[in-house]
Amino acid sequence: MGEGAPQQGVLVVALAQIATCPGQLRTNLDKHLAMADQARARGADLVVFPELSVSGYLLAHGVLEHALCLDDPLLEPLRRASREVALLVGLPLREPEGGISNAAVLLEGGEVRGVHRKLYLPTYGMFDEGRYFVPGPRLAPIECRFGRFGVLICEDAWHLSSAALLARAGADALFIVAGGPTELDGDHEPAGSRRWHWIVGATAVTTVRPVFFANRCGWEEGVLFGGRSWAVDGRGHSLAAAAPILDEALVTAPMSRAAAVRTRTLIPIPATERLDLWRAAMESADA
Amino acid sequence: MRDLPAVDSALLAAALERFLAEELRASGLAGYVVGLSGGVDSAVSAALAVAAVGRERVTALALPGPTSSPASERDARSVAEALGVPLEVVDLAAAGEAIAATLAARDDRVRFGNVMARLRMIALFDRARAVGALVLGTSNKSEILLGYSTLFGDAAASVQPLGDVWKTHVFALARTLGVPEAVVNKPPTADLWPGQTDAAELGFDYQTVDPVLYGHHEGGMGRAELVDAGFPPALVDAALAAYRRNRFKWRPTVVARVSASCINVDRILPRNPER
Repeated sequence: MGEGAPQQGVLVVALAQIATCPGQLRTNLDKHLAMADQARARGADLVVFPELSVSGYLLAHGVLEHALCLDDPLLEPLRRASREVALLVGLPLREPEGGISNAAVLLEGGEVRGVHRKLYLPTYGMFDEGRYFVPGPRLAPIECRFGRFGVLICEDAWHLSSAALLARAGADALFIVAGGPTELDGDHEPAGSRRWHWIVGATAVTTVRPVFFANRCGWEEGVLFGGRSWAVDGRGHSLAAAAPILDEALVTAPMSRAAAVRTRTLIPIPATERLDLWRAAMESADA
Repeated sequence: MRDLPAVDSALLAAALERFLAEELRASGLAGYVVGLSGGVDSAVSAALAVAAVGRERVTALALPGPTSSPASERDARSVAEALGVPLEVVDLAAAGEAIAATLAARDDRVRFGNVMARLRMIALFDRARAVGALVLGTSNKSEILLGYSTLFGDAAASVQPLGDVWKTHVFALARTLGVPEAVVNKPPTADLWPGQTDAAELGFDYQTVDPVLYGHHEGGMGRAELVDAGFPPALVDAALAAYRRNRFKWRPTVVARVSASCINVDRILPRNPER
């Protein structure tokens, strides 16, 4: 894309589907740098990594040891790499006032441009996030030289209101980063991967925004993650073929900004959201 | 009646191979040690390990005892040959007799069977220590749910690739992985005494009981619902009785918590070393 006009033309987003290991941060960081190099060579502007990509997902109480501050020296190689290609990475973020967030951090030009803290911490079934993390306090798009992006971390995207709010707030596109496990239920596209495919597609066509989905693959602590990172535009057309289920992959997805704006102008679904119904629901919940 | 869900055995095999590759990588060790019994579970586990990390990193042992069937060693050899791994026979007969005599356990076939299962565990972990390897478990979900195993014996392993795989699906995996037909088709046996079979001891075979276990364990169906669904009451009662009786084997021990940092209760940490 043109250096002088980053808001115009085509944005190339790379989805880095990696398998991480909980607590083996240096191994995980090496994978980030290798993927960033590869993405840059393919002309990507921005690389999206999965949830908790730096630390691994099933850290459990390991977050106490491995939570990072935004200025942690361990992140320096990522900050440096972000001068060449912007990076959205996942990590357990140590909050100054105490507590640890499950965060996605956008690095660009060697600096932190924004942070999204996971809003919905699943604590049921095999999930125990409410035990280790504090929920994020707010939802707003993150801005950088490439545009204004809504970031959702895994469970955030299962609450459809999150994407609707980001679209209302003027996000150009949505990044969904996930550590989505899957069971193997006999289907060629296993259950977890299949559910994500529906959610990502439904999010794109109901917000009328391109959605870039970076999921992890591989195993942690005996849990299999479902891969199938994918990108789709606001009308449901794939921007890239989905990644495999089991293996690491780098997916590059070009997005035409002009086409995205034209689509959401022609199909103004989020703009017509009946907020009066939300207000009524909130009032009846308060009552 | 409810059926088990289908299995995509090629995808399942590919996923389990990556599990074994990752566990080995994360552990920093050199390979896997597996006991080949001549049965389908150990054949499938070994085949997955060979596909995952290469045959040169898989050590296969046959561990016969005084009452083992010669057919077991023959079948173990055919599995090893099919996988292209050498099979080392470590004869545990004398050791088994000696310890059984010391414990006065020889005349009780269950006690003696448990002694032999635990001796095999000793042999596998000893070899794992000697060569810097992980012990490859061979337990499947059906036998774990029924508790059809010896605690700290055949149930003891570093990793259990088949621990969430129904026995019915283990057979499907075996065919996908090219396990010799004779091994796939023979009746499952722990081979702890002559003529022993899992089906004779349990009172049902795995293909019959798997849908019952699935309906109860995953589907939340109680006795009445299972019987209403068409499963024979005697089968349901026997399956649920084993399921309840042997649940202690799912978590082989319990730690008395007397602090605020009890391991695996207050402090749950990743299993593999941090780097």
